[in-house]
Amino acid sequence: MAILEGRNLRKTYRLSRKNTVEALKGVEVSIEKGEMVAIMGPSGSGKSTLMHILGLLHAPDPNHGPAPELYLSGENVATLSDNARTRIRARRMGFVFQDFNLVPTLTALENVLLASTYAGIRGKQARQAGLEALTLVGLADRADHKPAELSGGEQQRVAIARALVNKPEIILADEPTGNLDSDRSAEVLALFRQFNREHGQTVVVVTHDSEVGEACDRVIRMRDGRIRDHGQNVAQVADAPATATPLVAVPV
Amino acid sequence: MRLLRDLGRRKLRSALTITGITIGIMALVVFGSMANKIDALVKGGSTYYQDKVTVSAKGGYMGLGGVLSTKMADQIEALDGVALAVPTVDMLQSDDSGAVNMGVPPMIDGFVGGATAGYETFKLSYATGRGLTAADEGQNVVVLGSDLAHQFNARVGDTVTLRAVKFQVVGILEPTLTAPDNAAEVPLAAAQQLFMKTLPSIVADKLSGGEIATGIVAYPKAGVDPQKIADEINASISGVTPMTGKDFDKQIGSATSMLNAILIGIGLISLLVGGLSVINTTAMSVAERTREIGIKRAIGASRWRIRREIVAESAFIGLVGGLLGLALGYAITTLGNDAGRESATILFDLTFGTAFSSVAFATILGALAGFIPAWGASRMDPVTALRYE
Ligand SMILES: Nc1ncnc2c1ncn2[C@@H]1O[C@H](COP(=O)(O)OP(=O)(O)OP(=O)(O)O)[C@@H](O)[C@H]1O
Ligand SMILES: [Mg+2]
Repeated sequence: MAILEGRNLRKTYRLSRKNTVEALKGVEVSIEKGEMVAIMGPSGSGKSTLMHILGLLHAPDPNHGPAPELYLSGENVATLSDNARTRIRARRMGFVFQDFNLVPTLTALENVLLASTYAGIRGKQARQAGLEALTLVGLADRADHKPAELSGGEQQRVAIARALVNKPEIILADEPTGNLDSDRSAEVLALFRQFNREHGQTVVVVTHDSEVGEACDRVIRMRDGRIRDHGQNVAQVADAPATATPLVAVPV
Repeated sequence: MRLLRDLGRRKLRSALTITGITIGIMALVVFGSMANKIDALVKGGSTYYQDKVTVSAKGGYMGLGGVLSTKMADQIEALDGVALAVPTVDMLQSDDSGAVNMGVPPMIDGFVGGATAGYETFKLSYATGRGLTAADEGQNVVVLGSDLAHQFNARVGDTVTLRAVKFQVVGILEPTLTAPDNAAEVPLAAAQQLFMKTLPSIVADKLSGGEIATGIVAYPKAGVDPQKIADEINASISGVTPMTGKDFDKQIGSATSMLNAILIGIGLISLLVGGLSVINTTAMSVAERTREIGIKRAIGASRWRIRREIVAESAFIGLVGGLLGLALGYAITTLGNDAGRESATILFDLTFGTAFSSVAFATILGALAGFIPAWGASRMDPVTALRYE
């Protein structure tokens, strides 16, 4: 069953009365539960915008063309209240944003724990999970460092730890390897893959990097606000989900 | 903790805001305490004068002014509705002490101890020693008000000098926050002698010391309106001005309530300036953190949580400013009163109510100041906030 299913997804940014940007021009998309999908396409093609809509950060435009539809595990979420969408983001999704976005006044661990707090997890249990998530991304020894004291790649990995800490159903990552060298980006991908395997989590990765695309089950290609190619799930094609995909070494 | 750290990061701005509030609250505390003191003075007077008629020589006031005769007391007591009338001799402790003085200048009050027992309802209690009695007539003894005792640094048994005459202290009053704090009570005869010395000798020679009074205090019979007695006095005795409690309230009360309004006004204006500074700082710091708010919203912080964080932070700034302002205000009023004790000029009365409401006011003001930017920030689209530069 599709965990995320969208139809007629449009987004127009209005810069002024005359100047508008049609970032999404009516997209139909379906992402299966347990899939690891890459969204690729040229810069400005609407990848981030689509990810934000799938992550319930934006509501799709309601007022031109056929009404937009967005289903999360079969539930219509296109018209939910801000509060309901916030709750879903907090409890069921994990985000890595294009420019990693950490809170500068908080340490790495505190940044990770923000996600736990919003999901309603506190205290020792949260701390434990936070440290585990930082260990996964290889930053346990940097837990008390502020973002300014971390390299770009380390900051990106803190953001990934924050996305993973609640073991959310869906991980939405926008260029999660953009600032990493190929070894590190292989590690991050392996981490997503590990989560995807062990917990059946759905992973959506927006990327420019074709290696990242190849490491995923399926590549959705976008151009000019539209999906050009929905791709084929290599795992389903091979009919052997556990072994058919290239598995990058999991870091210890 | 997080809140403290966030404040710490914006040290300078937070410090400036807190300073603004501190000054505002300090002004409110100081002026409020001054108003309290005036209020207590006036209330004390109002209570004291409420149930009696105080007669002075024409043009005089509150038993001060020209010379009356003690015989007039009998004349007034004979009036319908008057239960008791007693003579008093009141004068300033020194001739120049009334010049620059807020509140009541140090006074010498002469009366026959115990003469009004059963009639006087304004109760005085004694910190040490005793009150005056009829047996004290002819003796040079004195009961000191609490502020005055401080000024003289006197205890029961000590000798103090009033208008160049030595008096033995037999009692010290508990603080009343009103006129008696600054009064020296002496037997009537002693006061008459002191008063004689203040008169030009041509006048004094014609008077017999034992008959001098500066005021007559008349107590109405139960159920009789003091105003009726004042009217009777006006009708039957010339050359005197009777004053009732209502007269006191009208003249003194309205003058001081005006003064109080001005004092509180000054305090509130300073506070308004402090308040605007909190609004400014909060608005700036919220704008500065738009991105941060976007991150938090994006990963699942509700609008209410964002509002709560910002409001808690600005309320905390208000609270800190309020407490610092209170501390400063406390220091100023305490030092001011200590300095004034020398001249028995107690200007401030910092009550718990004033202290509490000033700090509460600062906190609420801070919270309100945070509310406006908090509301705006929390309504922003998370993605827009994330992209904010
Ligand atoms: N907040 C915004 N206001 C105005 N225009 C926007 C906004 N966000 C995106 N756009 C425009 O919408 C289009 C799609 O943007 P989007 O960020 O989705 O592209 P992208 O595929 O993620 O690009 P990139 O690979 O560079 O991140 C672009 O033309 C962009 O300029
Ligand atoms: Mg993008």
